[in-house]
Amino acid sequence: MALSTLAWVTMGLSLLVLPGVATAILVRSMRSEDRKLELLERQDNIDSYSPRALQELREWIQTNPNDPYAPEARARYNECVRTLRAVDEPYYDWSPEQIENLETIDE
Amino acid sequence: MGDTEARTAREEWGSRFGFLMALVGAMVGAGNIWRMPFTTGQNGGGAFLVAYVLLLYLVAVPGLMAETMIGRYTNNGVIGAFNQVLGSKRARGLGLVVLLVNVALMSYYSPIIGWALYYAGHSLLGTFTQAGFQPQAFWNGFIGNTALVVGMHTLTMAGLAGVLVFGIRRGIERVVKWMIPLLVFALVAVAIRGVTLPGGMEGLAFVFTPDWEYLTRGSMWVAALSQALFSTGLGWGIALTYGSYLGRYDDVPLGGGMFTAIGNTSIGLLAVFATFPVVFAFGLEPTAGSNLLFISLAEVFPELPGGAAWAAVFFVSFFFATFTSGLGITEVGVTTVSEETRLSRTGSVLAVCGTIWLFGLPSAYSSSFLGQMDFIFGSFGLPLATLSIIALVAWKFGPERARVIDLNRNAGVYVGRWWNPVVKYVIPVVMVFILGYGVVTNIGTDNQTLTIVGVALMAALVVASVAVMSVVGDPQDDRPGAASKGGD
Repeated sequence: MALSTLAWVTMGLSLLVLPGVATAILVRSMRSEDRKLELLERQDNIDSYSPRALQELREWIQTNPNDPYAPEARARYNECVRTLRAVDEPYYDWSPEQIENLETIDE
Repeated sequence: MGDTEARTAREEWGSRFGFLMALVGAMVGAGNIWRMPFTTGQNGGGAFLVAYVLLLYLVAVPGLMAETMIGRYTNNGVIGAFNQVLGSKRARGLGLVVLLVNVALMSYYSPIIGWALYYAGHSLLGTFTQAGFQPQAFWNGFIGNTALVVGMHTLTMAGLAGVLVFGIRRGIERVVKWMIPLLVFALVAVAIRGVTLPGGMEGLAFVFTPDWEYLTRGSMWVAALSQALFSTGLGWGIALTYGSYLGRYDDVPLGGGMFTAIGNTSIGLLAVFATFPVVFAFGLEPTAGSNLLFISLAEVFPELPGGAAWAAVFFVSFFFATFTSGLGITEVGVTTVSEETRLSRTGSVLAVCGTIWLFGLPSAYSSSFLGQMDFIFGSFGLPLATLSIIALVAWKFGPERARVIDLNRNAGVYVGRWWNPVVKYVIPVVMVFILGYGVVTNIGTDNQTLTIVGVALMAALVVASVAVMSVVGDPQDDRPGAASKGGD
């Protein structure tokens, strides 16, 4: 029995959005891990947040200065800023200008 | 912080690949191999897959991100995580609920792993291709031999203990790093053999030809929701526990969320390819559930060229799928007991495995009892555990706080604000709906008594767990404090 065109399309899409995506994620995850390890071996530290994630963290800290978790958030924010200033090559896609403009937050 | 020393001494995964395989291996179990194919076939084939994939991405992926994240953030097992975030003695009872549901789940899952082990062993011995082999008689002879079934249950728990005693890196990781790739290769090999059989393509036509009319049926959406949530193991405490062994530079959303949910479902899809062509090629009943595996498929292997090898590939890979799930479910208890008591890792493994073995004896003795346990804990226990863990992140820690402070830290993929309402509203509503739907649809049926017992048992479990934890131990004092609007 031959498959209908619709069945072929459904099967193809299922393979694409499940095993296809899973394989792509696995490859991406392994590659990013390799890169993290390489950077850690070379410079002993890597930045923890992407530009967008760090910006959101800063906004959250400013919006919730008295939140019980704010001290930890500030510590994580400042640690990332200091790391970005110290390392030669950031893990995330940070430009030198972006790093230059970063400021730590009073803890 | 009081637990600094414990944190720095805490074991971590040895490799990214090991963590990913362990998590996927824990979530891929018997349900993926025998439930996913016939649920797909019963609910409109391609239409079900469309609904399922939609719900997988919408609900399961964000939920697993939340659960793995709270594990990495707290660096604790289930009770420790609840303790750290909630900081109240009574609230830790919800952590105990998750633990007890896991122990109960494992008590009847261990005999099933034992069945898989028995069939894997016989497939290697070539039993299924011997002259005069009768699959129904073989199954009846096995399941009716109490000593044999209890023996396989015992062997299973001994095997799990033998791996878990070596810990995360030298135990679980070492095993799953080869078991899961072998499982995938085996399913692919059986699938290729299946679709090349005369009539095999009919199985694929049955599964992948969409019947769009099913998209208007509520029962199909409930089936898709249940499969998306339960086959991914969301909220069982496994992702939380495995996530607690991640290092500070590890990613959560890409691996713990996306890969776990999608990788797990991919193996379910491979199981569809591996079983349905064979089922249709030999005219078997596709909705036969566990019978399909242990009786029907055992019957067709002798008829295949090289049938002994194919039987071995299939049943050994099925055993791998169940065994790696057993490792994950049991580790939830081992991690928690080793953290909350003075027992060493070895002592915790022996205590947890011994308890599961003991409580598993009735299920090993009686398949009927096993079925009742599966109904009660599958229908009510697991949704309760999921609701507890998601509520911890969504309603106490707070999704926005979780997202900006921890989820996007060292993340391989950025998670936007869309995640907050999904975790806070969508997943809890879905879980409550599934719980309610299960109760309503079973009232007035043969399962009414079991439904009432299940609901009463879960209510008693919550009350008893909260009562026990309110008098046992001291809550940690190092949590940042009560939740505020920063979490929303």
